[in-house]
Amino acid sequence: MPILKNIAAIAKGMSITFMEMFQPTEVENYPDGPGPLKGAKFQERFRGVHVLQRDENGLEKCVACFLCAANCPSNCIYIEAAENTAENRVSGAERYAKVYNIDYNRCIFCGYCVEACPTDAITHGHGFELATFNASNLVYRKEQMLAPMPAHMGANAVFNQAEVNQGAPAVPVQGV
Amino acid sequence: MRFSDQFEKRFAEMLTHYPTKRSVLVPTLLYAQDEAGFLSDEVIAEIAQRLELTELDVNNVISYYSMLTTKPRGKYNVQVCTNIACMLRGGEELLEQCKDRLGIGHKGTTSDGLFSLEEVECIGACSWAPAIQVNYDFHENLDERKMDAVLDSYRKKAI
Amino acid sequence: MADAPKLVNLTVDGKKLTAPAGSLLIDACKNVGIEVPSFCYYPNLSLQGACRMCLVRVEKMPKLQTACTTVVAEGMVVATDNEEIKQARKAMVELLLGNHPLDCPVCDAGGECELQDMTFSYGAAESKYMEPKNHKDEQQWSPVVFFDRPRCILCYRCVRVCGEGMDVWALGVQNRGVSSIIAPNKEDHLECEECGMCIDICPVGALTSGAYRYKTRPWEMNHVGTTCAHCADGCKTTLGVRRADEGMEIVRGDNRDKSGINNDFLCMKGRYAFDFANHEDRLTQPLIRKNGKLTPSTWEEAFELVGKKLNEVRMRDGGSAIGVIGSTHTTNEENYLLQKFARAVLESNNIDHHRTADFPALAAVLSGKQEITASMRDVYNAPAILLIGNDPTEQHPLLAWQIRNNVRLHGAKLHIINSEPIKLRRQATSFTQIPVGAELNAASFLAGDDSALNAITASASRENWAALRNQLRNTENLVIIFGSEIRGAAVTAVTHLASSISGAKVIALADYANSRGASDMGLYPDLLPGYHPAAKSGLTLPQMAENAKSGKLKALYVVGSNPLARFHLDSQIFAGTFVVVQDMFLTETATIADVVLPAANLYEKTGTITNTCGDVQIVKKASEVNGPKSDFEMIVRIADAMGYDVRNLVPFGRGETADMGQSRGAQSGEADRHAVWLQANNLEPKLSPFDPMAIFDEIQRLVPGYRVSRLNLLSGNDEHTQLSQSGPGAKHDPALIVPAHDNLFSSGTLGRYSRALNSVMENRNPQPAEVAAD
Repeated sequence: MPILKNIAAIAKGMSITFMEMFQPTEVENYPDGPGPLKGAKFQERFRGVHVLQRDENGLEKCVACFLCAANCPSNCIYIEAAENTAENRVSGAERYAKVYNIDYNRCIFCGYCVEACPTDAITHGHGFELATFNASNLVYRKEQMLAPMPAHMGANAVFNQAEVNQGAPAVPVQGV
Repeated sequence: MRFSDQFEKRFAEMLTHYPTKRSVLVPTLLYAQDEAGFLSDEVIAEIAQRLELTELDVNNVISYYSMLTTKPRGKYNVQVCTNIACMLRGGEELLEQCKDRLGIGHKGTTSDGLFSLEEVECIGACSWAPAIQVNYDFHENLDERKMDAVLDSYRKKAI
Repeated sequence: MADAPKLVNLTVDGKKLTAPAGSLLIDACKNVGIEVPSFCYYPNLSLQGACRMCLVRVEKMPKLQTACTTVVAEGMVVATDNEEIKQARKAMVELLLGNHPLDCPVCDAGGECELQDMTFSYGAAESKYMEPKNHKDEQQWSPVVFFDRPRCILCYRCVRVCGEGMDVWALGVQNRGVSSIIAPNKEDHLECEECGMCIDICPVGALTSGAYRYKTRPWEMNHVGTTCAHCADGCKTTLGVRRADEGMEIVRGDNRDKSGINNDFLCMKGRYAFDFANHEDRLTQPLIRKNGKLTPSTWEEAFELVGKKLNEVRMRDGGSAIGVIGSTHTTNEENYLLQKFARAVLESNNIDHHRTADFPALAAVLSGKQEITASMRDVYNAPAILLIGNDPTEQHPLLAWQIRNNVRLHGAKLHIINSEPIKLRRQATSFTQIPVGAELNAASFLAGDDSALNAITASASRENWAALRNQLRNTENLVIIFGSEIRGAAVTAVTHLASSISGAKVIALADYANSRGASDMGLYPDLLPGYHPAAKSGLTLPQMAENAKSGKLKALYVVGSNPLARFHLDSQIFAGTFVVVQDMFLTETATIADVVLPAANLYEKTGTITNTCGDVQIVKKASEVNGPKSDFEMIVRIADAMGYDVRNLVPFGRGETADMGQSRGAQSGEADRHAVWLQANNLEPKLSPFDPMAIFDEIQRLVPGYRVSRLNLLSGNDEHTQLSQSGPGAKHDPALIVPAHDNLFSSGTLGRYSRALNSVMENRNPQPAEVAAD
């Protein structure tokens, strides 16, 4: 009897519905939840807005090798490289990224840039609140993506702690 | 730059031995070093000019051979062999002894300019190991006592 | 090549192949597509056998052999690809990487590094070595050469190319074994010709260029193959360009495409001196003199003013009151257009340029006769070369390279006659020094006039001269190269000598990138394009200055030239003349102009140029600076502003279906680059009045020597033009020729505004040298 079969199937399905109805809710209460994340929860591996990391000396890890840009399938990374000098040392190697832009209009959060990075400079953070009324706001500059200074440094002032100990000024120096 | 007549004679003769001028570079450098003690910039320039080479060429060759030096050496260049035969029979101890007695290390020169010390590879005297070479003279079958005697004899010779 | 070389048969990897006896195994393999990796082997340099990457197994030989030093032999059986060899290569790469830093992300060579490629193809993923790598700090050897010692893999290519190729011998190897290093000739720096060949040839990033260092990465640039804008040799160069705030910026010059007449070679200027384009003094806005001061204005205002003024003068005083001075740095099309503009629109034959060689005299001798001009490629292959005057090492670096390497590799005989002991005498079979200014006598004697010798030599050396003459007369396929010392009657004498020798050819040396083109395109008061006489002769450059002084010259139109500085003219004489100058910079001439129009340079436009031998090559738009316009466009727009129908000037918009870029999905704003794209794809739209190819059609029609293969030309190859097909030429006053006297590190106005050249000059002599203008 097909009718009975159908009724049985519906009953089976609705039983799951009714069962779940009385379980505690699993829905995230974003954006009305507590804490800085406003209730959003992430897996560790979530690929959000990129973070440009610094090394233990507070210098940028990015050496402007362009591999992320070369690897990017949506061609959203724009870099201009420049050479570090004794007076203006931004990264640990000879070269640093003078300009590092990611166009989030185009970024597909595939993570290829992170895979490609030889210095682990670019990583995915958990930022996801990118929405804006103006598309040009979606081009993020290096300064917007840079990780904060490591706690013990406090400023991207000098390359060498020994220099600070010898009296070098430990004030922030603009990176560009 | 003036060299001795003997040098000039040798130089002129060597030139006749080879088809190209640059072939006589190494013996010429050796003879020049024997005469001047070391190869100064002046000597290098002179030899380069004579052999139609650049000073860079001459420097390249000098830097290749450890027996050629561009820095002043002591009057007696003590070369202690520490290759396998000499090492097994106490070459390294001899070197240590020399270092202690002369108060200098490898490639060092005593302050009175009498001795310089060098640790060298095989000098071809394995049958009589351990052996050392002082300038062009060999001293073989050495031990601690003989070594002292050798150094003393040179010191005496100098006075 | 009297006999075909004997062939031997051998077997490589089971493939039977034949190779000329005496050739190297590595070449034999390469020719049939079997890759044998190597670092130290470089074609045309002496063998080194240092890198051990090319190890192959040759049957019946006890050990693995280096393919780069093994000569092929009959019946040889070779394996290039088995487990044993793979293992050997893997071990070699591992050893090379033992001390090589893995800083590829930072290294300039990253992406085009041979060690990277080899490691990828043949290397192991991991190294057995646990030891820390030696590190040494980077050294700066000269303003343009940097040396990073740990990256060096000791292939000695730089040492060999500097010595054998350039005959400079500025690099050497010091110490031995693991402590071997490449050393510069002056303790810690280089004293050399700064050609950068060592950087180009370095398989890794040990030698890096000061101009390009850490700026970008190879794959981030667009590479545009074009022709160098400096001397008259016309080297093919590849410019790496990238986006910049002000359009497109050139970041690197090299010759990755080694198909040009220069093969491996580029000199200091070609490799580094492209930076004038981005000099801060570059003009980007038209300037109009208002109340005695040059003030920025708009293009419309400038063109309107120029058109109105030129029209006024033409109506009132006639075309003869207008003078035009052309450039030696603009394309053939622009030069042709300029003379057409002068003759058709301004109705004036007063057109001239800065002459640096007597091409009209050469055309006069050759006209209608057998073609005997040599191309730059001929210089490399000629069995013998006679060089009269000039110092190619300084003024024609490519020519010098061709001569040197011809002598070195092909055993050519080089005979030099010069008033100075020039450097090339080191390669010469015979060198004859003559008194300054005696080149005519020397040429006349060689051509057969015995009495010509009296003035220049004592009787004792007469025999040597006669012997030289006899020897030259008996040398088939001799190439005779002469500098600007040979002009007028001397050109005739030299050409007579050449035509008396079977297969002999000549080259006249001019000084600037398109000096030959300016001459061929008729920037002469009495000669039309192709050396055809004009109906009525106009004024030469010095005559224009005279007329300006006496107030008869009412207007002067100067395109890319600096006659004030070059001919030491008094700026006051142009007080009553309306002067229009098109240039990149505010030169001496531009400062006295009434209107200055900012011009694009040779790297910023498309067209053709002709080198001093007569080899035509294409220039392609590589860079771009916002503001300036090409001379071509400016000439057309001035004609338009004068009310002239520009269709009569540039035949555009007829026939031909057009592709406006749709076929490649062009986006808006790419119209300029579209021209480049069309060039690259050998298409010719002729849609625009600014399309140089429309004019090139006309040049090919009217200048018979330029009827060369268009296909070949547009594909980026050189095409030799035939001077003998030209008109009858003319005999001019030799005094009109003013040599540039540039050296390796100067290049007229371009050189003055090139930081790279200036930094080398300052490095050499702290006192600033006097730099020639124009």
